[in-house]
Amino acid sequence: MNKKTTRRLLWLALVAVVVGAFAWVFVPVWTIQPFKAQTSEGLNLSYTLRSWSRVVTLGALALAALLVVLLWREARWWMKAALVLLLVPVVTVTWFARQNHFEWMFKPLERSAYVAADKVDFVGDEEMVLAVEVNGDAVAYPIRQLAYHHVVEDTVGGLPVVSTY
Amino acid sequence: MWEATTDGRRLKFHLTGINNQNFIMEDEETGTWWQQVSGEAIHGALKGRRLNGVFHDELTFATWKRERPRGRVLRPSEDNDAWRKFSERWEEQTAKMPVVAQADARDKLAPRAVVMGVALNGAAKAYPLESIERQSPIVDKVGGAPLVVVLGEDKKSVRAFETTVDGRELEFYVKADAGAWRMFDGETRSEWDFTGRALSGALAGRQLKKIPLLKDYWFDWKLYNPQTAVYAFNTP
Repeated sequence: MNKKTTRRLLWLALVAVVVGAFAWVFVPVWTIQPFKAQTSEGLNLSYTLRSWSRVVTLGALALAALLVVLLWREARWWMKAALVLLLVPVVTVTWFARQNHFEWMFKPLERSAYVAADKVDFVGDEEMVLAVEVNGDAVAYPIRQLAYHHVVEDTVGGLPVVSTY
Repeated sequence: MWEATTDGRRLKFHLTGINNQNFIMEDEETGTWWQQVSGEAIHGALKGRRLNGVFHDELTFATWKRERPRGRVLRPSEDNDAWRKFSERWEEQTAKMPVVAQADARDKLAPRAVVMGVALNGAAKAYPLESIERQSPIVDKVGGAPLVVVLGEDKKSVRAFETTVDGRELEFYVKADAGAWRMFDGETRSEWDFTGRALSGALAGRQLKKIPLLKDYWFDWKLYNPQTAVYAFNTP
């Protein structure tokens, strides 16, 4: 195989890695959209892709970096620019695969704290709360907070619980 | 509300996605995806498992405070202000959002009609909140068990109780004239409060069994309870 063919193959491999990595991360994001219907198969695929996305993106980044290095030296200036540009999506998805973009919209409640009922000044009398009682430990979770945070961890009367809404 | 354990191991959950407008949470320990409304593990290592539900009420803060004056209340996050920007009218805004589930033309309820869902003895029934507001107390039967669905004095809190006491089916009516809100049973005329406890009469001291209620949108209740019955409006 001559050098030109080799270079072409390396370029092709690089593009394939970039597109593949991007698709790997993008498919679950596309599937799990709030105002779109989901199917069991779509979720199944998304689950699998997401489970592996940290490993896959890291591998893709390493591979892409290697290919860029191999192609760099004999590349003309505009090819060098293209090589750098191609790395951008790979770096982006490698970073994105380590984020929880749902938690950008709905920040989790990191440390939950509680106030005695008679000292509460942040909930109106007419506001709805989710009320639980276990072993004499009575807790109220204002629904507005639950609707925002989605998930609140607690231990009620010794029982580990998670409030969701 | 769910017990956050499986096999005796505590699980820590995060919001991870959405499935037909009900959110999915993921546990840090196994990476399994759990459906919020059903507590079922839908994908991952623990697929097929179900979290144990923990009984809870949805009440106005005033009602809860009256019943549990020594309780504790979740304080808003001080780490970030984002939740404050989450509009006070979030429920109103959500009610206007489109629904992705297929609507059934035969449905008498709109997809975002609010219902109180009861699942008992293998049967399911949805009580439109509107019907409860107009007709409380609603005496009914689900899965063969007689029950009553009652709207509280605050006109917003709803509870459901099994109405069999000592093998007898009691029929309840509500009196809300002078003084506090009270329920009476037709058989013994005992007086019961909104927590289902008899305050006076032959059955004084007895406690009605609370039935878990889920406040949900009709489209979501139906999705997870496809065989559900619907309480029908019988107003003349």
